[in-house]
Amino acid sequence: MLRILTAAFAGAAFLASAGAAAFGAEQPTMGVVVKIGGIPWFNAMETGIKEEAAKDGVNATMIGPTSADPALQVRAIEDLIAKKVTVIGVVPNDEKALEPVLEKARNAGIKVVAHEGPGIRNKDWDFELASAKGFGETHAELLAQKMGGKGEYAVYVGSLTVPLHNAWADAAIAYLKAKYPDMKLIGDRYGVAENVDDSRKTALDLLSAHPDLKGFLAFGSQGPIGAGRAIEEKGLVGKVFVLGPFSPGQGRKLVKEGAIAGGFMWNPAEAGRVFVRVGKLLAEGQEIKDGSTIDGLGTVKPDPASRNIITDNLVPINASTVDKLADMGL
Amino acid sequence: MVDRIERHYAVFGRDVWGLLGFLALALIAFAAAAPQFLTAANFSSMAFQVSDLGLLTLAMLMPIISGGFNLAIIATANLSGLTLAWILNLNGGPQAGVLAFAGGAAAALAVGGASGAAMGATIAFLGAHPILASLAMMIFLRGLGEYLTRGGDISGFPDFLGEVGHGELLGVPVPMLVLVGAALFWHFLLSHTRHGFAVTMIGSNARAAEYSGVPVKRTITLVYALSGMMCALAGILMLTRFNSVRVGHGDSLLLVTVLACFLGGVDPFGGFGRVAPVFVALLILQTLSSGLNLLGANQHLSTAVWGLFLIAVMSLRWAGPVLAKLLKRTKE
Repeated sequence: MLRILTAAFAGAAFLASAGAAAFGAEQPTMGVVVKIGGIPWFNAMETGIKEEAAKDGVNATMIGPTSADPALQVRAIEDLIAKKVTVIGVVPNDEKALEPVLEKARNAGIKVVAHEGPGIRNKDWDFELASAKGFGETHAELLAQKMGGKGEYAVYVGSLTVPLHNAWADAAIAYLKAKYPDMKLIGDRYGVAENVDDSRKTALDLLSAHPDLKGFLAFGSQGPIGAGRAIEEKGLVGKVFVLGPFSPGQGRKLVKEGAIAGGFMWNPAEAGRVFVRVGKLLAEGQEIKDGSTIDGLGTVKPDPASRNIITDNLVPINASTVDKLADMGL
Repeated sequence: MVDRIERHYAVFGRDVWGLLGFLALALIAFAAAAPQFLTAANFSSMAFQVSDLGLLTLAMLMPIISGGFNLAIIATANLSGLTLAWILNLNGGPQAGVLAFAGGAAAALAVGGASGAAMGATIAFLGAHPILASLAMMIFLRGLGEYLTRGGDISGFPDFLGEVGHGELLGVPVPMLVLVGAALFWHFLLSHTRHGFAVTMIGSNARAAEYSGVPVKRTITLVYALSGMMCALAGILMLTRFNSVRVGHGDSLLLVTVLACFLGGVDPFGGFGRVAPVFVALLILQTLSSGLNLLGANQHLSTAVWGLFLIAVMSLRWAGPVLAKLLKRTKE
């Protein structure tokens, strides 16, 4: 008897939390599964999704798993298939692990839009706000301008196994080698840029070993912060330039002091809006063709073979933009 | 009457009816709240999802009943999956035949069993604490897997594996059938064999078991070896479901398996626990998670609801006997 009471009590507690949910009648429904929920990047993306969904008349929700585990993304997508949504959006943790479940989704007649997942095969479109080449080269060009086109520089990546960071580094290094022959890369790339302390220590070591070191290109969210702190400690602000993508909120002070010379990012809220726009086009059965214009992506040049729409919509992070970006919670 | 109840408890455990009642309640609540909940598509989706978690929970269950713990379940599953992937790739990747799969699966089970046996032997013969020994094994296997794959994934498997991971047999998802089979096997092993008896005795009191002539060391080694093989089965299933293997797939499930065991009334100090209530607990967790997903609730909320549910069940388990005693006293 008591066991049954147990059940009843727990059930009541839980019923209270599962409040009623209203569903729109004939609106297209969309579920966007992101890498992980509850972090600023994807909170901003959720804001974008919500805003645009309200404007476009789409019933869109974002699902952020509690940890960045592909197994959880597979589960969330399976639930969306059961929910019979019109469009599934996904920012994959691991492209290959999602292929079977996305195939299942498409077999069920659901459209699939990916972001930061250009390698996925089972999708209708993937859109990117930054190309690996464009992202690397834009940073490289800014570094060259800051350094006056000459001197030694070092490159950080998050880890040697992060393909995207290494693709950015490849593009940047190749660009500088071709365009600014007086700039010299020291060492190989350093896989420290996901860790503030490692980035700072490596920067201090490199600065003592190479007196002519004038620039850091740090691909990885903590790299510019760590290297920026090292520059500040050594009193080298304005003499050594640190560039790279980083979280504006975290780096706000360093950017304003000049310890971080600048960087670029793409706007996750914009990515959220584009998810809804592309999802709506697919739900309405509209074609995305060469020369189509999509808000937030601009005039696109989709690749029909790989089903990728790659654009360069970079947002500069510098002393004048950092406050606005940081206020978005980024 | 009392005898029949006792016999019933012996098979299903004391918790199963309360849990089933809660499951029914949750099903009704979600059916009322979400129109898509009572659909074949949703139940099939839930059955697919519960299977890998279920196998891993079984792998956690036996060590806990023996008074131990196995933190290495995910790492073991990943490394066993890698073994299978490696053998499939040696035999032509997408072109690999059923024979290569059978051989690879056997090798995966061997790897899982061997790493489990090594861990069990450390615990049994060296007297290492199960948490420490399995933590060490987890770190070792993770590191080994990351070293071998350089953190990347292995993929590109034959198509028939997709049929295993995503197919249905007579309308029931194949992974669910695997889970049910494994659960029945585990139930048989724990309730109807000498080994199962030894496991519960050791879990209750290892020293008393030793003095009574139970082969404690051998049994503990076997417990972890079997747990490792169950992990391997989970690893194989995950490979077929994700069409790829990588160290870290399923990491987030580790503590959920512990949650499922405790919800299912397994004694955290060992000695008591049955497969049937744990199975029902798994179904409840999956119902809560899928139901909240259908309602579009935040994922963190469903984790919170899981936690809340565990707290509620625990406090009622504690309050139950106290209340019963009070009732008895007032009657007298």
